Amino acid sequence: MNRRLILASIAILALASSGTLILVAAPTPQKVVKTSANAKTSVTPLSQAPITVDGVKDIDPDKSYGSKSAGVVMETFTDFQCPACKQLYTTTLQRVMDNYVDNNKVFMVHRDFPLPMHAYSRVAASYARAACHIGKCDVVEQTLFQNQEKWEVNGDVKGTVAGVLSPAEMKKVQALVDGGSLEPLIDRDKQLGQAVPINQTPTTIIHTKDGQTYPVVGYVSYDVLKTLLDQLVK
Amino acid sequence: MIESTPFNYRRLIIWLGRIVIAGFFIFAGLAKLIRWDMHPHPPIGIATSLFALQIDSYQMLPPWTVLQVARWLPWAEIAVGLLLLIGWRLRIWSTLVTLIMGGFFIAVVRAYTLHLDINCGCFAKPEPLTGMTVLRDGSLFLLALFMTAFAFLEARKPHPWSGAEAPSA
Repeated sequence: MNRRLILASIAILALASSGTLILVAAPTPQKVVKTSANAKTSVTPLSQAPITVDGVKDIDPDKSYGSKSAGVVMETFTDFQCPACKQLYTTTLQRVMDNYVDNNKVFMVHRDFPLPMHAYSRVAASYARAACHIGKCDVVEQTLFQNQEKWEVNGDVKGTVAGVLSPAEMKKVQALVDGGSLEPLIDRDKQLGQAVPINQTPTTIIHTKDGQTYPVVGYVSYDVLKTLLDQLVK
Repeated sequence: MIESTPFNYRRLIIWLGRIVIAGFFIFAGLAKLIRWDMHPHPPIGIATSLFALQIDSYQMLPPWTVLQVARWLPWAEIAVGLLLLIGWRLRIWSTLVTLIMGGFFIAVVRAYTLHLDINCGCFAKPEPLTGMTVLRDGSLFLLALFMTAFAFLEARKPHPWSGAEAPSA
């Protein structure tokens, strides 16, 4: 009996000390894969040149919302094929848009961060970016997130986007996607995310006027995010 | 004559548990309130809101509960850690610590098995929740469990200082 207890105690000690060592020594795992070597660093502006707001650089004006003089900049890195991103976009961010962006309290920036593990997220990002450049950002981003379960199975990103655009709009979007001129913008978003570094999606970086940044990782509910935003926009 | 407490492995586990778990709890509580990883350190109100976001990412509790847990948990961790170190009413506080550790362990196991890409939130800093996190929390939970069990078992025995002195020959 005593021997068993002694052995059990030794096992606990070993586990506890290994846990302590892990806590102290383990490096943060990086899920993010490095950008491909042929990724361009320069950005080709199309409709408008990238802007800088409160020190947040390379913002695509077509993928940002609100007043540039807002007290807080919310920079959200998402992947169109990530379920938590869908949840964040369709619930929390929509309410932030209604209650903070529309009231000029928050300037919101959507960044693309397609993960290599998702087969169609890069294609979806390309179509969404193209739609943003013809002024159809909201409707296309919304449909891509809402129909995520469908197109991630059959890969029909184009059909999903075409379902909410007119033929003329779809023609423009397709031309932009085929031209590849928007790809550097997506690459640039990804590079900016890797520089943070972003380890998972969705990740939101909240920037304040005084230069402080607050990372928010994963899905968060609106009511909880609101308590932070209310303190920051004061 | 008063003798020192005789050494045994149960007392060793109790002592070890008190020191290790108290250290973890006090450090974790302070880290959540002070946010050493941020420069400049944010005010406590913002630090608490940031911790609430980390709790919320587990998607286990409703928003109101998340906010209350975020408000009180760091202070509770510091208080319980100090009480463990002091050793006053050890059985009560070690039981509470075991329950808290059990709750943490269930939360990380659930998040890990659901493949939630979130930060642990254990020490406030951005720390992705991995298998190592589960192992660490599991180890601490086991240590807390044994510490509590042994504290109850040892309390049944008369304390060596309170025992009758052996008659001198």
